[in-house]
Amino acid sequence: MARFTPDNLELAHEIISRYPRKKSAVIPLLHLGQEQDGYVTNEAMEHIAELTEVTAAEVIGTCTFYEMFKTHPVGKYVINVCTNISCQLNGGEELLEHLEETLDIRSGGTTADGMFTIEDYECLAACTEAPCMQVNYRYFHRISNDEVDGVLSDIRSGKLADTIPEHGVLQRVRQTIPAGKLAGIAPPETVVDAPVWMARNEPILAARAAAKAAEEAAAANKATEATEANEKGDA
Amino acid sequence: MGYLQGFAVTFKKLTEDRVTTEYPEQKRPKADRLHGRHVLNRYEDGMEKCIGCELCAGVCPANCIYVRGKDNPDGDPVSPGERYGFIYEINYLRCIHCDMCVEACPTEAITESKLFEFSFTNRADAIYTKNELLVDDDGMPQHLPWEDWRPGEDEMTSGWMRATASSGNAAYEGKVAWSGELGYGVRAPEIGQSQDAPPADTSDSGAH
Amino acid sequence: MTDTQPETEASVTIVVDGQEVAARPGELLIDACERAGTYIPRFCYHERMKPVGMCRMCLVEVDTGRGMGLQPSCMIPVAEGMTVDTQSEITKKAQDGILEFLLINHPLDCPVCDKGGECPLQDQTMAYGPGESRFVEEKRHYEKPIPISDTVFLDRERCILCDRCTRFAKEVAGDPLIHFQGRGNQTEVNTFPDEPFSSYFSGNTVQICPVGALTAKPYRFKARPWDLEETESTSVADAVGSRITVQSSRNQVLRYMGVDSDPVNWGWLSDKERFSFEAFNSDERITEPMARSGGDLEPVSWGAAIAAVGDALKNTDPSRLGIIGGARLTNESQFAFTKLAKGVLGTDNVDAQLGDGLPAELVLGLPRATIDQACAPGGTIILMGPDPKETLGALFLRLKHAAVEDGATIIEVTPHRTGLGQYAAHHLHPLPGETAALAAALVAETPALDTAGVSADAITAARAAIAGDGPVTVILGRASVAESAAVIADAALSLTSIPGVRFLSALSRSNVHGALDMGMSPGLLPGRSTLASGTANWPNTPSTAGMSTAQMLQAAADGSLDTILLLGADPISDFPDTDLAERALANATVIAVDLFETASTDHADAILPAAAPQEADGSFTNLEGRVTKISRKVTPPGTARPDWIIAAELAMAAGGDLGIESLDDVWAQIAAVSPAHAGIDTASLDANQRDGVVVEGTLDLPAASGVSPAVADAYAYRLVVSRRMYDAGTILANSPSSAHLASGTALHLHPVDFDALGLDRGAEVTVSSATGSVSLPVEPSGDVPRGVAAVPANQGDIVVGTLIAVGDVATNVRVERGDS
Repeated sequence: MARFTPDNLELAHEIISRYPRKKSAVIPLLHLGQEQDGYVTNEAMEHIAELTEVTAAEVIGTCTFYEMFKTHPVGKYVINVCTNISCQLNGGEELLEHLEETLDIRSGGTTADGMFTIEDYECLAACTEAPCMQVNYRYFHRISNDEVDGVLSDIRSGKLADTIPEHGVLQRVRQTIPAGKLAGIAPPETVVDAPVWMARNEPILAARAAAKAAEEAAAANKATEATEANEKGDA
Repeated sequence: MGYLQGFAVTFKKLTEDRVTTEYPEQKRPKADRLHGRHVLNRYEDGMEKCIGCELCAGVCPANCIYVRGKDNPDGDPVSPGERYGFIYEINYLRCIHCDMCVEACPTEAITESKLFEFSFTNRADAIYTKNELLVDDDGMPQHLPWEDWRPGEDEMTSGWMRATASSGNAAYEGKVAWSGELGYGVRAPEIGQSQDAPPADTSDSGAH
Repeated sequence: MTDTQPETEASVTIVVDGQEVAARPGELLIDACERAGTYIPRFCYHERMKPVGMCRMCLVEVDTGRGMGLQPSCMIPVAEGMTVDTQSEITKKAQDGILEFLLINHPLDCPVCDKGGECPLQDQTMAYGPGESRFVEEKRHYEKPIPISDTVFLDRERCILCDRCTRFAKEVAGDPLIHFQGRGNQTEVNTFPDEPFSSYFSGNTVQICPVGALTAKPYRFKARPWDLEETESTSVADAVGSRITVQSSRNQVLRYMGVDSDPVNWGWLSDKERFSFEAFNSDERITEPMARSGGDLEPVSWGAAIAAVGDALKNTDPSRLGIIGGARLTNESQFAFTKLAKGVLGTDNVDAQLGDGLPAELVLGLPRATIDQACAPGGTIILMGPDPKETLGALFLRLKHAAVEDGATIIEVTPHRTGLGQYAAHHLHPLPGETAALAAALVAETPALDTAGVSADAITAARAAIAGDGPVTVILGRASVAESAAVIADAALSLTSIPGVRFLSALSRSNVHGALDMGMSPGLLPGRSTLASGTANWPNTPSTAGMSTAQMLQAAADGSLDTILLLGADPISDFPDTDLAERALANATVIAVDLFETASTDHADAILPAAAPQEADGSFTNLEGRVTKISRKVTPPGTARPDWIIAAELAMAAGGDLGIESLDDVWAQIAAVSPAHAGIDTASLDANQRDGVVVEGTLDLPAASGVSPAVADAYAYRLVVSRRMYDAGTILANSPSSAHLASGTALHLHPVDFDALGLDRGAEVTVSSATGSVSLPVEPSGDVPRGVAAVPANQGDIVVGTLIAVGDVATNVRVERGDS
């Protein structure tokens, strides 16, 4: 477990090629590593460091800063229960306790079968829908204890497999950028010409500029006419 | 007739208790806070209190203390924490018993006993090392052969007697703000003036 | 509006606590206030690094035209009319509050903390902080302390997250191996698991840490700041001459700290400069004179030793007598020994370099640059010498800063990629032995051709950089001892045709530049003068140039040199051709003046113990020619004494008189014979403690020797033997914390060449040259060009010196599988 598989390595190179600087690809590659192993392994971080030409210390620094990157094994389904104020008032803590009892683990722990990890979370930004929780970052709003039991059994039975992928999978349709739409892959300081996207916009900008110039010219004409009229009047 | 008054004083004093004593056969009890020869204390579990921080050496106006710290040996620590006093020496030819070292000590490791009657025949003997200063397995100061110890002089050597101990602060009256000590346990707090009760007999209050 | 342009404005006026103060445009407020005498407390701000505004300790009330408000003074540049109140109630409350926050998680284990007593957090809490904390909760706990490198301990509990060490690692040293990890309350500084902070500059983080989070292993629990005494001195670990303070307690030196010398080291030290002092405290020091009687070295009295050695020197024909070494000595001692040799004994066989340096006439004849000139903004730096990161640590930091921050262009002209490579704009790696050809191509007018294994395009690009507007400086030294010095000399002479070019010598051995200035080289006299041009009016001055180290060793091996006086030199370890050194010392009467017993002193018939730099006053000449003071802090062990006293006594015993009884006498005599050193004496050095005095004056340049390039051999690799920061040198081997850091000898090949061998990493190969063969492990390395085999010098395990024949333009070797 570990370094990128050959397929993922190819993908990693493609991801790196999207950015002007290799270092910019660190976060997408951390996601890739987490998708591969369910969490970000030290070996993956070392591999990312090699690929992006930074040190492993810089990669782990970035990785540990973000809550969504796990550096230790977690369950296939990570359940985040909000216990911040709005959810707390609406039963968030009871929800967490219920989960702890049902799954027989403490917050932060993982079930023995490796299915579930529960986390006590700060605000999930769904205060109007309290109490709320996420399973692998998919929301469940205004959820009751009974409904939680239903969600757990649905996950176990595979009923929710379509909506909730396993931990680490961000999306199942991978983004690809068509060759013609690349933003240009040179470091900004080395780019002499305008960026590619700017070239694409140039006709539009030119048209706008022309329209504006025409408008201004028309306005100026009017003004001149008016002045001339005034002058005539004065005379 | 005035000289009779003089005689009266003399005869009256003949029957009163004498102030002088037959020193050195007899000694007067010493004050609780007398500054005598130092001791290096241990915690109740026998660990040394000294951490080798050299604050005593830094504050010493006579420059008579030499301390060096060292990493506690793995698995066999001498003191709690990382560091212990590896070398501890006091030169009694220089020491003026000002007790600044006792005040400076962050762990109540160095305190003073009430022994001040000790003499040497050479310079080397006057430099007490850790071997001599450290309390024994019962938490009592070692009675070295050349020292004249009398009963009671080895008691009351605790850190709580420091002038800066929190016991001197009215806000802390009745509160224990010092650590337990081998041979004495945790000393009971002093009773201050705000209480009507007579001062507790602190000499054995914490002993067990 | 105004009649002065902002660009030409000399200063802006700001109001600090009601006083009008002139500040420099662009200057940070915190600096402007400090220059005006108002110190603003800070933790994260360091004047040699970029500001980050992490700690918030420097908050002051500032009015920039929008009313008073709290702003971090390390993040705002001064502006005209800015009003600052560093004493207001709001400022004080902010500082008090920040300190209370910082102390929330700080363990307050000051009594056991090495920083206690010199800790900015302690000091500023006393000055600006609250007396008591309102935080009663449990503090963070981490495992403590964890070693993050061989010399640095990390105590995460104490860390206040000021970002100084991590910024240093990234910005200054370029080794970002420590980084913030985690977030919020759990943020910590740490390394990647099992990947230590193995930077050559790690010790600097200990010095700049404002709390006791980073502590140095060699100093751990050794003393407290209040029982340290200090004196400012100069580091002799390499030729940069970094300024240091030597701190001791009870007559024992406990640590060196960097001192911010603006023209030299900017406060930074390499770990070698910082920690190798441990050797001087070593029990292995020679403490009394020794003489060989019946096969063993036995202690003798100084009187007997001096008399015996004096006799030996006096009774040897001057032409059969040689003095090798002297780079370790102070300028004064070097002068004394030069005078002993060239004024009393009458021999010119004196050489401070051990065959791994450059011709003295070349080094002294080339137009010299200072470090500031080399690092001038927008300049071009041609690195034609050893890897500065390995051999001249503090200089590397200056060069890196010039390249990264000041727009200097670095052109690498080295046999393989160096530590400066990642900051260099051009990488030219000539084949060893063909450097002169490449240098000639760099300055030629004709269109560039592929030369010395370097493509024409690369040469054309480098030519354009050299022809730029900025000043051109060549960092000149021997990148490899397996390549002849004549090749580098010819290359340097070609480069002199660049208009305005200057040279910064990269000879790295301690005070070797002082030795050259004091005439410790065949044909030279003190003050950058030759036997012909020198004004030294000594009784016995030889008229013809003597032998170099290589010639002396050859002569001794051939039996035509009888007595060799070693001055802190170990030719067996340091002379490129180990065999020759062994044979020479075995053949001759050897007298050693040294601190330690070495491989070479095993051949000695008498050893005189010398005082280490921290044990004797004197002065040092760095690679710029800058003379700075070396100060005595402790007494030498046993009866060891300063070298110049030994020289003076030997002169007496040999029937002469140096006329030297004090350092003032030495400087008076130097002034008499050396116009270059005019105005330098103990008083002027005391007056210029920090920056020293730069010696000026040059010799006539020698003519190019016109060595023909090495003969190509299609089957062979060209050998490169280069110095590393950590090796088995005497000083490092005797410093406990550095002794084990030598990397070990391995052969490094380009990955393609490596694959061609069909061996695993670390497999044994046999490397053979015309003179010998050794077997050693092989590793692939992307830093090494094709056709080159690179080996570190003097790592203590495998002797590669047997492969080298001195005088060969380059060393061709064959690399074969170990089993063949």
